[in-house]
Amino acid sequence: MTRMSTGLKRSLAVAMASVSMFSVTAASAAEILVWCWDPNFNGATMEEAFSRYQAEHPDDTIRVEIFDKAAMEQKLQTQLASGTTEGLPDIVLIEDYRAQKYLLSFPGAFEPLTDQIDYSAFAPYKVEVATVDGQTYSMPFDSGVTGLFYRADKLEEAGYTAADLENITWDELIAIGQDVMEKTGETLLPIDPNASDLFRIMMQSAGTWYFDADGNVTIADNPVFHEVLSTYQRILAGGITKPVSGWTEYTGSFTSGDTLATPTGVWMTATIKANPDQSGQWGVAPVPRMGDVESSVNASNLGGSSWYVLSSAPQKDLAIDFLKSVWGSDVDFYQEILVNQGALGTYMPAREGEAFQASDEFFGGQPVWQNFSNWLAEIPAVNYGIFTEEADSAVVAQIPAITSGGNIDEIVAAIDAQVRQQTQ
Amino acid sequence: MSNPLALLGRAATYLALSLAAFVSVFPFVWMAIAATNTSPDIIKGKATPGTALFDNIGTFLTSVDLPRVLFNSFFIAGVGTALTLLVSSLAGYGFEMFRSRFREKLFGGLLLMLSIPFAALMIPLFVMMANLKFINTYQAIILPTVAWVFIIFYFRQATKAFPHELRDAARIDGLKEWQIFLFVYMPVMRSTYAAATIIVFMMHWNNYLWPLIVLQTNDMFTLTLAVAALSAGYTPDFGLVMVGAIVATLPTLVIFFLLQRRFVEGMLGAVK
Repeated sequence: MTRMSTGLKRSLAVAMASVSMFSVTAASAAEILVWCWDPNFNGATMEEAFSRYQAEHPDDTIRVEIFDKAAMEQKLQTQLASGTTEGLPDIVLIEDYRAQKYLLSFPGAFEPLTDQIDYSAFAPYKVEVATVDGQTYSMPFDSGVTGLFYRADKLEEAGYTAADLENITWDELIAIGQDVMEKTGETLLPIDPNASDLFRIMMQSAGTWYFDADGNVTIADNPVFHEVLSTYQRILAGGITKPVSGWTEYTGSFTSGDTLATPTGVWMTATIKANPDQSGQWGVAPVPRMGDVESSVNASNLGGSSWYVLSSAPQKDLAIDFLKSVWGSDVDFYQEILVNQGALGTYMPAREGEAFQASDEFFGGQPVWQNFSNWLAEIPAVNYGIFTEEADSAVVAQIPAITSGGNIDEIVAAIDAQVRQQTQ
Repeated sequence: MSNPLALLGRAATYLALSLAAFVSVFPFVWMAIAATNTSPDIIKGKATPGTALFDNIGTFLTSVDLPRVLFNSFFIAGVGTALTLLVSSLAGYGFEMFRSRFREKLFGGLLLMLSIPFAALMIPLFVMMANLKFINTYQAIILPTVAWVFIIFYFRQATKAFPHELRDAARIDGLKEWQIFLFVYMPVMRSTYAAATIIVFMMHWNNYLWPLIVLQTNDMFTLTLAVAALSAGYTPDFGLVMVGAIVATLPTLVIFFLLQRRFVEGMLGAVK
């Protein structure tokens, strides 16, 4: 040090001062980068959340980058696999079904938030999907709590009221569908023979999944899974369904009045309400349960996603502080996104807010949000494991066999074998 | 008059061709019709022209920074096409015109690379670009395609028809090797270049996966990425998506019609 010339020392000091000045500026005006996939839904709620945070942190900003969902997943996967953290965001949205896959495949990539967030305030099933080895990683976002959306006006013509659809079993729904068909000639449900949605809904309603709590395959040895498939078979044999192919045809089927009802996630509300001419003609009932399965309840889940902070995030502390102070405590915020984006959060104290209590004229004055959040609290927690996608495709591959009245035991064995082979 | 059997044959030909034309044209017609309808109407399967075209265009212009993404797309496709054609045609020319002991082995090795799916190369390529500090830049997209095996192969095949006498004559006239390539080979092979231009430009224009991985900010997005992002979400505005699809299709259509005649010539073999 003594041999260093004064000139060099001085310029070194200046350089260090400017470096520290630079980092001070960076800390006082930081930008949080977020990746998500719906400009009108999760993207819009994130912007709204940050505008509330910004009131107290006027120098900080947020940049929400929107991608197509599959595209965003591919991007995230590639970058995590490459091991380079450059370009990764601070916060990323991950679908609940895939959460375990990411958390287990890329250990250390996501920041555990167990010590930062009071998870007892969130729906238990939602916390479960983001927990690995006792550490929880997510800021829970929207729920996929299910309901049976139905055309109240058409069912009324056949003599059915909302009370007739309360807490029924799938077999009771089949009987209603057959009666409606006889009286009005209309088909109750659209069914996409390439979709596993109905299986997922039925499984989770009974607190079961393709995998047990430890992630082991539990299909052939799971009596509930047998019952799920035979219930599906009875629904198709009941003559109350109309086949549709793909998402657009599926949503088009019930929004055009071609079919009268569909069991699906709460997020479908926005699609249904996009047809204002049908206001007052809709209702939402609890999703049916499986009558022969004791553990099955009239509540389930389909989809839903949560926010995750990356361990490599340049603005990690800011991101966590932001998530905590808005997503983790602001009841008013949850009213706002419910009204504006139709986003049903999983922060339970928000249920007491005004918007959650309101009734909706579109659904004939039913207190739909109150109902959904009550069902939300009842959703059984399951472990989605790493291989939900693979198991889904094994089920979808067997749908033709189920539909044509095949032997359920044999079909279950075939699914079990395929899943085991793929997950070895 | 021709006999009834021949007439029947002609009728069958026309029927088959009409059917094929319908199958290939229908998606475009449907796209154009859908662009004039609102999203709920499209979902319901409405197949007649509607009145929402200007609304859809308006939404498109507010949700996409069109001048910026058009510039990105044209810059990447333009510079990328020029560099790819220059380097890959030079390689194809070299492979055919110059003999060496390893030529066929080397070329075989190159062809083998065609069978490696891009998904397998993506991660190492990303690491490479990250180390070069090229993430979120134009060169990250352009550079990996400059030496493009398929185009090298295509030019080598086309060069087989290039008369060696021309090269020999040029040599006698005192031209250097690079001059022969630039002033003799390139003009003679212009149909091949035209066909390759269409192929390479389309590939750059429609390139999706790699730009998606390597581009990070909206202001760097290409048109293809911006249009794909329009259909993001649980309830996409399909009218808007259709306008985007039309805008993304138009430039390739224009380029194809401009170079159509040369494209056919190039495919048939450049040198008559």
